[in-house]
Amino acid sequence: MDDGVLAGVRVLEIGGGVPAAFATRWMAGFGADVVRTESTPGKLTDDEAVYLQTGKRRIKTDAATVQRLALAADIVVEDRKPGTMARAGLDPERLRSEKPALTVVSITPYGQTGPYADFEATNITSFAMGGIMSLTGMHQREPLVTGGSQALYLGGLNAFGAAVAAYLGSLIQGEGDWIDISLQECMAGMLELYGPRGAYEGVASVRSGNHVRAAWGLYPCADGFAGVCALERQIPALFSVLGDPDLDDERFRNPLERPNHDDELQAKLYGWFGERRKAEILELGARYKVPFGAVQAPGDLLANETLRERGLFDEVATGNGTARIPGRPFLGLAWRAGQLSEPGADTVAVIDEWLGEGR
Amino acid sequence: MKRLPLDGIRIADLTMMWAGPYATRVLAEMGAEVIKIESPRAWDNIRTLIPQPGVADPWNSSYYFNDYNRDKKSLTLDLADPRGKGAFLRLVPHCDVVLENYRAEVLDNLGLGHDVLREAREDIILVSMAGYGKTGAERGHVGFGPIIEQMSGLASMTGYGDEGMPVKTGISYGDPVAGKAAVAAVVLALIHRRKTGEGAFIDLAQREVLSTLIGEAFVASSLRGEEPVHRGNRDGRYFAQGVYRCAGEEQWVAISVRDAGDWERLCAVTGIVEHLGAMSNDARHAEIDRRIAGWCAWREPQEVFETVSRAGVPAGRVLDTKTIHEDRHLEERRYWVELPHPRMHAWKQPRSAWQFIEARPRLQRHAPLFGEHNLEILGGLLGMSAEEIAELEAAGVIGDAPANPGVG
Repeated sequence: MDDGVLAGVRVLEIGGGVPAAFATRWMAGFGADVVRTESTPGKLTDDEAVYLQTGKRRIKTDAATVQRLALAADIVVEDRKPGTMARAGLDPERLRSEKPALTVVSITPYGQTGPYADFEATNITSFAMGGIMSLTGMHQREPLVTGGSQALYLGGLNAFGAAVAAYLGSLIQGEGDWIDISLQECMAGMLELYGPRGAYEGVASVRSGNHVRAAWGLYPCADGFAGVCALERQIPALFSVLGDPDLDDERFRNPLERPNHDDELQAKLYGWFGERRKAEILELGARYKVPFGAVQAPGDLLANETLRERGLFDEVATGNGTARIPGRPFLGLAWRAGQLSEPGADTVAVIDEWLGEGR
Repeated sequence: MKRLPLDGIRIADLTMMWAGPYATRVLAEMGAEVIKIESPRAWDNIRTLIPQPGVADPWNSSYYFNDYNRDKKSLTLDLADPRGKGAFLRLVPHCDVVLENYRAEVLDNLGLGHDVLREAREDIILVSMAGYGKTGAERGHVGFGPIIEQMSGLASMTGYGDEGMPVKTGISYGDPVAGKAAVAAVVLALIHRRKTGEGAFIDLAQREVLSTLIGEAFVASSLRGEEPVHRGNRDGRYFAQGVYRCAGEEQWVAISVRDAGDWERLCAVTGIVEHLGAMSNDARHAEIDRRIAGWCAWREPQEVFETVSRAGVPAGRVLDTKTIHEDRHLEERRYWVELPHPRMHAWKQPRSAWQFIEARPRLQRHAPLFGEHNLEILGGLLGMSAEEIAELEAAGVIGDAPANPGVG
């Protein structure tokens, strides 16, 4: 099984924005033959293209051929607007009835149905509609979008899991499914305790910036920013690492009293973090089992010894040098790094292999 | 009726907090039977994080616990006790998957590492989801979602632009991301088992999974040495983008003006003056922000969102944790579902985001009460006698209430 758990699985990617491209990237890494139809230029930035197109074959062909390829595939992943597939002769229901084992995954901002289904969206508007944004940012300022393109990536992450689940179902039952993934729904159900609290108590939670409370926050440190997230059971270890005799007092020890003195505790943490460097903070955290973290930039992680030892990063040759990108999401199943293909470079080979005689 | 893909799969769930329980809830939505295992002495602290006032058993009455643990069964077992461990190893042969999110060394310290589980069931699938993985110099670090966000690179990318200060995401973002990846890991391992007859040991580091959601930042860093720059809510690829305050308390709408065409459409529908004189990009963006903000300020957020969206310009209301439960689109898609709970009044819970249009996953049942399925699993599935079960109970190895309810 060195070829990967999805070896022999044929995947057709249509649309090709971040959601579809990320879902199929993991399929390619785990061994599937992923074929990406060329999409509207500009859907991916150059850097996104390096990350998300690696390991895939790329074709340029006409609509009729795409229809035949879809029926030759095991999984079709698409992120076009609702109705676009049907207008291109790729109606998922029709594809499913012609090939019951096929799995089709459609990823859209709002899903295939409902009053907003046809609305335009971008990463930030989806992030807003999913609820996470209302909780993110400083209380006295406007809500803030989390970095990168998280709403789009979450769509891809969910689509990947749903697609392989449906594929497993097709191996067992002989029938795939059509899966309607809405970016809004991917996020609306992951609002930690705040979502259920809003539903149960009928009040909105306010964004709390970098400090949910003193022992659950992010602080400037001597060489950047670092943080702590201590549960009640970890408070004694945190206090002992801080080593401040003032903390040995009822107002800090007692979990019911502590919130009344949160500003005071926060001031102490500002002082403590400010005098220390990230490496020292992390080392103390590991030694005393205190959940400390430090803000790492991508460059820090590319140089990180643990990640090197665990082999997180793949190397991919680009026209601008060798890029290093996150590879396998977890260890335990074979992963292949893959290479970058030129646009349309694989058209002839794919048509021959997927649609050739005797197939 | 069509079956769900994980119908017939049984999962022993040793996870607590959010990442792991979120994973196993999604696995349950996909049809798996999930047995949540907690010790009467070391149980899922989420149970009492927000207890309802005035109830006798707060560990059974948390909406927070409920939403991430519904559709599961509850078995209590003290795995640190030889009798509890023995019972667990009798359960493993009946399970396809064991999922755990302890710190890296804990499962091995309990004497329940992969080798031991494999002796109990040769094709067992073990998914471990420690913060930093099972190997490497950082495996001993302790981490929850916000820490994972810092250590993954994501926190370095979020900020208003003030002096490089990073801003945390308002939820423990690393948790649900790792949870969804763990679901995929289980499914892939099941496909692997089906093809080869072999089990698998998945070593998932939550921090690494989150790094995969910012892949392009590693391209920029490795090719050009570029590190993240905070642009607040702006996006360099668009003409303009921001979040604008609307009428009401803390009501906001995000708008992306992708190009000049969007600007023209936005101005046409709002009456905003379109003409922009010659000015720098920054000055132009500031002027666009000023004009949009002026139009939004006295309008209802829903009106702003729908008016702009209907004009073909991307807009999104910053739905908060109250208004998201009132959103008419989610309502029409029947996203919120009310399930009865024996201790609490009904509330809106999210259905599966994985809408299998044909197999239709649906919510079944509230989160289990503490140890609710002890008899069913120990007596029914494992065939223990009433005396055996009574002995476990007397020894505190199982229980229907926490031995230390104040902790948490």
